[in-house]
Amino acid sequence: MAYIGFSTGALAFGKFREALRLLHETTMSAVEISALRLTELPILIESLPTLKLDRFRYVSVHAPSRFSEDDEDGVIELLQRAPCGWPIVVHPDTIHEPEKWDGFGSQLAIENMDMRKSDGRRVDELGRWFDRLPKARLCFDLAHAHQFDRTMTEAFRILSEYGDRICQLHISELDSTGHHFPLSSGSIQAFSEVASLIPLDSSVIIESLNPFRGKSDRKQRAWIEREAERASEALSREEVVEVGLASLGPITLSPSPVRA
Amino acid sequence: MSSGPLASQRGSPLDIVQSELGCNWKNIEDARQKTEITLKSLSTIIGGHPGADTSVGPDTSVVVHGSLARLECTQGSDLDWTLLVDGIADASVQQRFLDIKNSLSDTNFDELGLKKPGTEGTFGALAFSQPIMHFIGGEEDSNSNTTRRVLLLLEAVPIGERHGAFERVRNGILQRYLDEDRGLLREGHIAKNKRWVPLFLLNDFARYWRTMAVDFAYKQFDRGNKGYALRSIKLGTSRKLLFASGLLACFWCDPAISRNEKQTPNKQSLIDSLGKFLSRTPLERLALFFLVHMKTSESESLRTTATSLFGAYDAFLGLLNNQDKRLHLEQLKPADEENDPAFVDARKIRRTFRLAVQEMFLGEDSPLRQHSIEKGVF
Repeated sequence: MAYIGFSTGALAFGKFREALRLLHETTMSAVEISALRLTELPILIESLPTLKLDRFRYVSVHAPSRFSEDDEDGVIELLQRAPCGWPIVVHPDTIHEPEKWDGFGSQLAIENMDMRKSDGRRVDELGRWFDRLPKARLCFDLAHAHQFDRTMTEAFRILSEYGDRICQLHISELDSTGHHFPLSSGSIQAFSEVASLIPLDSSVIIESLNPFRGKSDRKQRAWIEREAERASEALSREEVVEVGLASLGPITLSPSPVRA
Repeated sequence: MSSGPLASQRGSPLDIVQSELGCNWKNIEDARQKTEITLKSLSTIIGGHPGADTSVGPDTSVVVHGSLARLECTQGSDLDWTLLVDGIADASVQQRFLDIKNSLSDTNFDELGLKKPGTEGTFGALAFSQPIMHFIGGEEDSNSNTTRRVLLLLEAVPIGERHGAFERVRNGILQRYLDEDRGLLREGHIAKNKRWVPLFLLNDFARYWRTMAVDFAYKQFDRGNKGYALRSIKLGTSRKLLFASGLLACFWCDPAISRNEKQTPNKQSLIDSLGKFLSRTPLERLALFFLVHMKTSESESLRTTATSLFGAYDAFLGLLNNQDKRLHLEQLKPADEENDPAFVDARKIRRTFRLAVQEMFLGEDSPLRQHSIEKGVF
C-alpha cells in the first residue's frame, strides 16, 4: 500500500479538527477529511487553508452522503475549492446529474456501495458510472463489498475489472445495518483473500469507528496504531491464496493482472 | 440486473449449437418462449401485491424452481416457488410470504398453463438461508434441506426485482463447498497436476441425484404406483439432465474443459465462473460444452452426440406438451406399460437421451471421459 490513515469522520464524527489533532501524533501518513453531512461541507472547505496537513502524504475529501438536486451545484462549487491533487470521494447514489461532475476528471473517486443501496454495489452497476464519468477513479470500499457479498466474489469481479482505477481503499468492519466497527478477524481473513488484486499504490483510509472516543488521547492513539496494523495485516500482499483449510499450505497465484 | 437464466437468452449457446448442427428443436424453443411469458406474468403477480417494494428490504427473493427455472414450461407444469430469506431475524417476512400466497391464490392458473401449487411441501414455503448454507451433510441436512440447497444451484431463478438474497445465498453455498474441499486447487502427491474439480460439490450433486432416484421408488411405494409411468420418464430425462449439468459444472471448473483462459486458481475466481455457468439453464450448460469442444474436435462424435441428446430432449418436451399423452401417461398402470404405444415411444426417447448422456461423459473421444471416470465414478 502507498499510505495509510483514517477518515476524520470515523475518529471524531463531525469534528474534523479533533480527528486531525489526534492523528498528528501518530504514524499515519494519509487522511480523508469527511463532510458526510451537507452542513459540514462549507465549514470544512472554509477551514482548509488553516488546517495543518503537511505531515500527510495523501489527503482526500469525502463529499456529503446525501444532498438534494437543488443542492448539487452548491456542493460541486464547494468541492472545486479543494486542492486539485486531492481525490474527491463520492457515493454514486448521491449524484443527480453526472455530467456536472465530469469536470473533476480523474480527481473524482466513485465509491462502491453496500447492500442497502440500490446502485453502485456490483461490477456492472459501477461500470455504468464509469461509462458516464470515464475519467473517474475508484474508492474501493472493502467493507461495503464484503457486506454485499460475504464470499468476496463481487469484490474479485470489481478488482478484476476496475482495479486499475483504484486511488484509495476504505477498510473497516460493517454490520448488516451499515454501521462501522473495528476490524474483526473474519473481515481480515476475507479482505486478505483478494488483497493480491489491489494495486500497490492504493492509499488506505480506515473507517473503523473509534471505540475510545472521549477517552484519553493516549488510549485513542494506541488504538489508531493497532487498527492500522490490523488493516495492514488484512492487506498484506501474500502471493498465495488459500482454498480449503488454513493449515494446508500455500497455493501459488498467477501474477496479479492489476499490479501497479 | 441479475444473472438468471433469462439474462442469458440472447445468443444462447443452445441456439448456436442448433444452428451449427442444422437442427430444429422446436419444442425446446416453444417451451422457452412460453416460460418467458409465464415468468413475466408471475413477476407481475408476485411483485404487484401491496407493500411489495417496502415491506422487507433486500433480505428476501422469490425463487422459482422446476421446469420454470429450466425454461421448459409445458402445459400442466408445476409452480414450485419459495420465498428465500437471508437477513436479520424479522417476523414480518411471514406477512410478505402470505401476501405472495394470497396473490397466487387469486391467480387463474389455467390461463398461465400451470398446475395450481399445493398447500404443503418443500415448495410454496419460506426457506431460510442459514440451514441451507450451514447444514451440508449430517443429521440436520434433511431431504428438503438438501433439495432446496442443490436446486438453488442447479435449477432456480429469482423473479421480481429483488435478486440480492438469491445471489448472496448461492455464492455462500458455493463458498462452503469450496472452503472445505481440502485438496481443491492443490497438486496431487503423485500426479502433480492441480485438482480443479470441486469434489465436495460434486458429491452433493451425486447424492441429490441418487436421492431423486431413491425417492422415485419411495413414491412408487407410497402412492401405490399412481403417476409411475410419467415420473419414470421424467427421472430418466429432466432429472438426469439436472444431474448431468451439475456434474458438468464441476468439470467446467477445470480450464482444460471450459477453455477459460481467465480462470485463476483461487476461490473467488471459481465462485465467479461457477456462478456464471450455473446461471444458465441445464440445457444451455450442456450446449455450452458442445459449443466449446465441437469447434476444436476433429471427431464427428460430439456433433452426433449433441444431435441425439438435444433431439431426444426436444421430443420429451413435445410429449409433455401434448395434454392427451401426458394425461395418459400419468394414469397408466405399470401392468399396461409394455403394450402401451405412448409409453413405448416415451421409453425410446428416454433411452436415446441416456445413451447420448453416456456418450457425452464417457465416450472414447469425450473431453469429459477422464474426469467422469476419476471423479464421477471412482
